Amino acid sequence: MSWYLVRRLLLTLPVLFFVSLIVFSLINLIPGDPARVMLGEEASKEALSALRKEMGLDRPMHVRYLLWLSHVARGDFGRSVRDGRAVLDTLLLKLPVTIELAITSLLVAWIIAIPAGVVAAWKQRTALDYAATTAALAGISIPNFWLGIMMIYLLAVNLRLLPPSGYIEPWIDPVRNLKLMVMPSIVLGTALAALVMRLLRSSMLEVLGTDYIRTARAKGLGDAVVLVRHAMKNAMIPVVTVMGLQLSGLLGGAVITETIFAVPGLGRLTVESILTRDYPMVQGVVLFAALAVVLTNLAVDVMYAVLDPRIRLGARTG
Amino acid sequence: MKRALWIFILIGALAVTSVSAAPQRGGTLRVGLNADPPNMDPHQSTAAVDRQVFQNLYDKLVDINQNLEIVPMLATSWQITDGGRTYTFKLRQGVVFHDGTPFNADAVKFNFERMLDKSFGSPRFNEVSLVTSVTAVDPYTVRITLEKPYSPFLAVLSDRAGMMVSPAAAQKAGKGLAREPVGTGPYKFVEKRPQERIVLERFDQHWDKNGGFVDRIIYRPFTDENARLANLRAGELDVIDQVAPADIPKLRTDPVLRLLERSGLEWQGMWIMVAGPPFNNKLLRQALNATIDRRTLVNVVFGETAVPANGPFPPALFTYDVPANSRIPERNVDLARQKLRDAGMPNGFSFTLKITPGRVAQQVAQVIQSMAADAGIKVNIEIVEFGAILSQGDAHKFEAILLGWSGRPDPDGNIYGDFITDGGLNFSAYSNPRVDTLLDAARILTTRDQRRRAYGDVMNILNDELPYLFLYWPKQYKVLGPKLQGFVHISDGMMRFRNTWLTP
Repeated sequence: MSWYLVRRLLLTLPVLFFVSLIVFSLINLIPGDPARVMLGEEASKEALSALRKEMGLDRPMHVRYLLWLSHVARGDFGRSVRDGRAVLDTLLLKLPVTIELAITSLLVAWIIAIPAGVVAAWKQRTALDYAATTAALAGISIPNFWLGIMMIYLLAVNLRLLPPSGYIEPWIDPVRNLKLMVMPSIVLGTALAALVMRLLRSSMLEVLGTDYIRTARAKGLGDAVVLVRHAMKNAMIPVVTVMGLQLSGLLGGAVITETIFAVPGLGRLTVESILTRDYPMVQGVVLFAALAVVLTNLAVDVMYAVLDPRIRLGARTG
Repeated sequence: MKRALWIFILIGALAVTSVSAAPQRGGTLRVGLNADPPNMDPHQSTAAVDRQVFQNLYDKLVDINQNLEIVPMLATSWQITDGGRTYTFKLRQGVVFHDGTPFNADAVKFNFERMLDKSFGSPRFNEVSLVTSVTAVDPYTVRITLEKPYSPFLAVLSDRAGMMVSPAAAQKAGKGLAREPVGTGPYKFVEKRPQERIVLERFDQHWDKNGGFVDRIIYRPFTDENARLANLRAGELDVIDQVAPADIPKLRTDPVLRLLERSGLEWQGMWIMVAGPPFNNKLLRQALNATIDRRTLVNVVFGETAVPANGPFPPALFTYDVPANSRIPERNVDLARQKLRDAGMPNGFSFTLKITPGRVAQQVAQVIQSMAADAGIKVNIEIVEFGAILSQGDAHKFEAILLGWSGRPDPDGNIYGDFITDGGLNFSAYSNPRVDTLLDAARILTTRDQRRRAYGDVMNILNDELPYLFLYWPKQYKVLGPKLQGFVHISDGMMRFRNTWLTP
């Protein structure tokens, strides 16, 4: 198992290398001169050439790439061209926000999806099942920006139950921090829950029809034990896969939700950096997002083994 | 009679409220901006939104008032001599920067040298490039000499180029001043977290003891206009900048929020590339122009939030009443057809109109598309990202672009760089020696009447040759929550909080 982990971790390096190559090429292919975007409408020719030089844009692309890569290898992600801050500092500032939002959103998704999925499968083709399935469909169909604005108007403007949007660090004001996370987590969580619930329902239905469940029932075990201890554990395998994908997606940032709720996370940072051609920042953020995907996938693979002892990691087949 | 009594009581009540509204100290002012200000150094800043924070962080040599007249700030008086080439400023005494550095003539000299330093690459370079020397006559007198007369100079100094940064801090931090700004303004910098907030705190040593009423100012960026307004409604903000046109009618009658409206300095319309087909033929430009009904366009897309335009001088500028600027042409499809026939294209032609992403630009483009179609002109709309549009505009690689200008308090800033030959903003590749002469002349002329005449002549030429179709002047909006008092709304849209206060 530990050998497996080491091997998987080493494998992330070539992945990250290719990601960096692709990101670097793509952002350089976006039309529009970054110096022009940065200096805006009023740019003078002198200022433009000074900035191009400062950004290294006067050098060929492969030279810039290698230079950047050698800095990154030493842990130096450069400075944002937009505000002059170190890329790593800004990333570390945004990261806790994004992680917090990702975790609370997943929690919301679990709290809704797992009971709903199990009940829908258990009480298949009953009113409960139809209600859960319809709610899931609604969760997938309602656009985030609409749900977000409606929630702000209902819960913050009219009922004044929650602050409308923004962010405060949990160590400054933990209560307000949680209050601020409620609406964005619900918006993100409900959309995720819908998918998870439908997946869990079909996977539960499949498991509930298998022989070992019939055996368990024949032994006289109660419904709850059969469902939770026997059926759910196996039915969770596809769910964990999807949740892993969702988590890595969330760690890349949730642009629309972050914008509506003014959550200063990675999503807004990415979009704003792309729009302002802040090359060092975009490269830093995307590289980080790639790392998040790789690591989450690894965690998911480890989870498989925990859930289903038949799956053994690193075992050589054949 | 009863009615008259009611009105009397009402007026009395209003009088009482205004009397009780004496400035109060304390509190935190929370401001909703439309974007995140990236750079806190006025000599490096390029984003328009930066200027909102600068108004309170920095003092300028001079400022503008509600009538766009130049008023003293760090300079208490000035003399213009040598035919408009020498400006001698008397400086305010007893002013210190937030880091304790004294403000004096040497500090002014340092600031100009910083903007003019080519290796520093300041975006302000163009604005002050005519400055040939800055001399400290005595500690509180500074003399600035220009290469040639430049009548917009004071107006330029009422913006970022006139904002004074601390020489000591600037020497120490270099470009890093963008992250740790030090000015002389009524509020000093506390912290800035990207895309989250900027915090300023009252500077107790500020020279104006009758200002700086609130303790703190917190700026928060909301790129989503619905979210911005919702936060104001929920009482989380005290004032917001920029509202969606669709929200204006409801805000006019809102019982709690106060909508402030003013003519802005901005112009909007369509660049036409005159150096290549199809629009190198003036008749085709005139044909397109004749199909456009500016009043209908404004009614459909903006309602009361913009005014139809025919030039670069919105109602707030003193050059507005230049006839060719303020007279809005009527739509004339027959004339458009006539021009097409004269151009040898009786069946019309087609061109591509590039627009930036966003609902408003799309609506404007679609209205123009359907109006032009009536004369057989086919408009293909292409949405291009903002950065790419700027580059294509610079390279003159387009047929038409829908893009405007944020505007300046002096008319020169609204026209010069756009239509002078090889000007930095001249997307159209337009060149006319007569226009060049007149634009340069308007910079030398000193009286408003003389300048108005020069700009009038320019506008007569531009509205015949049409390198740009001016379409509308957007109005300026701010929305205030119930607590903010004493706010003065100026056409430049900048929020000056030196003399505002909060009711508890």
